[in-house]
Amino acid sequence: MARLILHRIAATIPVLLLVTAGVFTLIHLTPGDPIDAMMAESVDDSVKQRLRQDLGLDRPLYLQYASWMGRLLQGDLGRSIRNQEPVIENVARRIKPSLQLAGLAMAISLLVATPIGILSAARRNSAVDRLGTSFALFGICMPNFLIALLLIFVFGVTLRWLPISGYVDPWEEPWDGVRSLALPAITLGLALAAVITRTLRSSMLEALSEDYVRTARAKGLSDGAVVRRHALRNALIPVVTVLGLQLGTLVGGAVITEYVFALPGVGRLVVDAVFARDYPLVQGVVLLIAAGFIVSNLAVDLLYGWIDPRIRHR
Amino acid sequence: MAAIRPEPADPLSRRGFLQLCALAAGVLSPARAAWAQEAPKKGGTLRVGFYIEAATMDPHFSGSKIDRQVYHNIYEPLVTLDAHLGIKPGLAESWQQPDPKTIVFKLRRGVKFHDGTDFNAEAVKFNFNRMKTEPKSVRKGEVASIDAVDVIDAYTVKLNLKRPDAALLATLTDRAGMMVSPKTAQERGPELERNAKGAGTGPFLFVEWVKDDHLLIRRNDAYWNKQGGPYLEQIRYRPIPDDTVKLQSLQAGEIQVMDYVQPRDVAAVKADRNVVVLDVPSLADFAYQLNHTRPPFDNKALRQAVAYSLDLEQIVKGVWLNVGVPANGPIPPTSWAYDRAIPFIKRDLAKVKAKLAEAGKAGGFTFTMTTNNIPINVQEAEVIQAQLAEAGITMKIKLVDSGTLISDGNAKNFEMISFQWSGRPDPDGNTYQFYRTTPGTSLNWSGISNPQIDALLDRSREVNSQAERKKLFSQLTRILQDELPMVFIVHPVEPKAFSPRVQNYDPIPDGMMRFKDVWLK
Repeated sequence: MARLILHRIAATIPVLLLVTAGVFTLIHLTPGDPIDAMMAESVDDSVKQRLRQDLGLDRPLYLQYASWMGRLLQGDLGRSIRNQEPVIENVARRIKPSLQLAGLAMAISLLVATPIGILSAARRNSAVDRLGTSFALFGICMPNFLIALLLIFVFGVTLRWLPISGYVDPWEEPWDGVRSLALPAITLGLALAAVITRTLRSSMLEALSEDYVRTARAKGLSDGAVVRRHALRNALIPVVTVLGLQLGTLVGGAVITEYVFALPGVGRLVVDAVFARDYPLVQGVVLLIAAGFIVSNLAVDLLYGWIDPRIRHR
Repeated sequence: MAAIRPEPADPLSRRGFLQLCALAAGVLSPARAAWAQEAPKKGGTLRVGFYIEAATMDPHFSGSKIDRQVYHNIYEPLVTLDAHLGIKPGLAESWQQPDPKTIVFKLRRGVKFHDGTDFNAEAVKFNFNRMKTEPKSVRKGEVASIDAVDVIDAYTVKLNLKRPDAALLATLTDRAGMMVSPKTAQERGPELERNAKGAGTGPFLFVEWVKDDHLLIRRNDAYWNKQGGPYLEQIRYRPIPDDTVKLQSLQAGEIQVMDYVQPRDVAAVKADRNVVVLDVPSLADFAYQLNHTRPPFDNKALRQAVAYSLDLEQIVKGVWLNVGVPANGPIPPTSWAYDRAIPFIKRDLAKVKAKLAEAGKAGGFTFTMTTNNIPINVQEAEVIQAQLAEAGITMKIKLVDSGTLISDGNAKNFEMISFQWSGRPDPDGNTYQFYRTTPGTSLNWSGISNPQIDALLDRSREVNSQAERKKLFSQLTRILQDELPMVFIVHPVEPKAFSPRVQNYDPIPDGMMRFKDVWLK
């Protein structure tokens, strides 16, 4: 196990290097300038020039990259050009709502998708299956922002049960915190639930057609026990794969949802940073998101072993 | 030595101003009639929704419009604006101009910064020096005409100017005139950008700024001006980037004020009895700069062909849904310098034909417009594209984000480019930096260099009489309509929306929301 982890961590280094070089090149090739973006209304060239010098933006690109890498190796991601705060502080502030939102969205998606996926497979071609399949199709087809606006209209404006926008930390104010995350989590959770429902249904169908399931049934096990003990566990591998991939997307890529619900998450941070051409912030955040993806994939690989011991022994 | 008092806002009276609001709105807001009838009530938290959050709490380092919205409640400038953009006393109770290169301010006594220190002439001197010398100061350009500041006595201060600058007083109504406590500025250093506790003299005290979440200010019970407010206990500013969600937050009562209603939402919001909309005519000037330094628009006839192809009324009606008026030049109708005798350029396809022939392009020509990739800009570009096509001119549209737009503009890397200016109270702020010959990078993206324009702009800074300056700006507008460094499109109205609980909000056309006298029902 330890070897596997070490091996995987070693394999991430070139990936991260490629990511940093790619992001650095792309963001610097994009037209625009952080100082121009920050001081659109100021016309004093000397102030802009001085700031560019102070920030080292007047140096050749390879030197800027080298000094950024040098600082990175010492654990310093630099400072945001726009607010002068360390990149790590910017991310630390934004990662909490993102992780909470991702966790809650995953919980909601699993709560919704597991029963629907299992029932759809177990009662294939029945009314329940058709309903489940339609739900999945609906969830996959509906864009996030539309679900978000519908939820806001129903639960925020009409019924006034839940707050429309903003963020309260659930660790500080549990009730208000969960309420503030409810609508965005449902928005993301529904879309994810649709994907999981489809994945679970098809992998359950495959598992239910296996010989060991027929054997279990022949032994006289109830339908419930067959599904729970034999089919479900084997059908979970693709679901865990989907969840692992989605975790990274939920943390770093829930931009639309964060934008609509005015949630201060990582997705919005990186998009705002791109628009402001805040180079250190973009580089730092993308690096951390990439690292997060790698870690979540590693966690998925480890989970495989737990779900299916045969994988662990290979 | 003649005492300069705030000049009457010629020719727009208060009634005229309100009629202008009503004209732009189509109807006078019902809330205005209700306001001022009841006795104000103290207390309550006003929740305000903005599209982004503030960038810095230091007015001398600020380059973002949204910062000013907060500043106008925490800090105070030496002079302020009235509803007709006239200059009225602020922290300075009066001022005199013994000669064009000298301004003497008599300061208000008994004013204290929130940290308990006195506001006095030394503080004013400190602030101007700070703006002029701090490496990160964004105000340098605005106070460039000030050569030195002399303290005459504890409450009298003299500004010695390098050159006459008739626009300076209007400039001092905003961040360049805002006074920061010297003690707090020195003790706190760069941290002032994040924490403005104790720094201002205004009706509200800075409490906290939780980045990405909210900014909170509280009533200043020791405020020097005992007339009227502040009444509100607290004001909580929140960034809500999505316009639809911001509006829904207002309708659901989560916020009570939103800074701007998109034109597409205005009609629907006005029909909602739970929302009060106030159409605040702005100082803004939305236009397209034409690049004079390269083909095709180095050719005046082709610039004119484009201008005569456009039907501004159709653009304002179809794209802006009448939330604005067609522009005859850079000066908005709210300004004392606006000349309503100058019509905006009307569509005239016969003239287009003649101009194309004059330029040797009788069969038409092709060019590219660079504009921001946001819905209303895209719609406007498409309407312009269609209007030009009818006139035989082909326009390609290049959509970019605002970072690219600014950098393309500064580098003169465009043929025609969208330019949306929020506007300044003095017409100088809507003209000088765009049309004066300027080497290097400036907001004169078009690259226009015209001795007649330069002379008019310089003269407009030297002359102090408003009537005289108005004539100069009228002349300028006529030349701009002929030379066309920009094709002027619209002076937008900036509708703001309120909960009916919000009382006594007084709109100033600079778009800043001053909540001193506002109270909650």
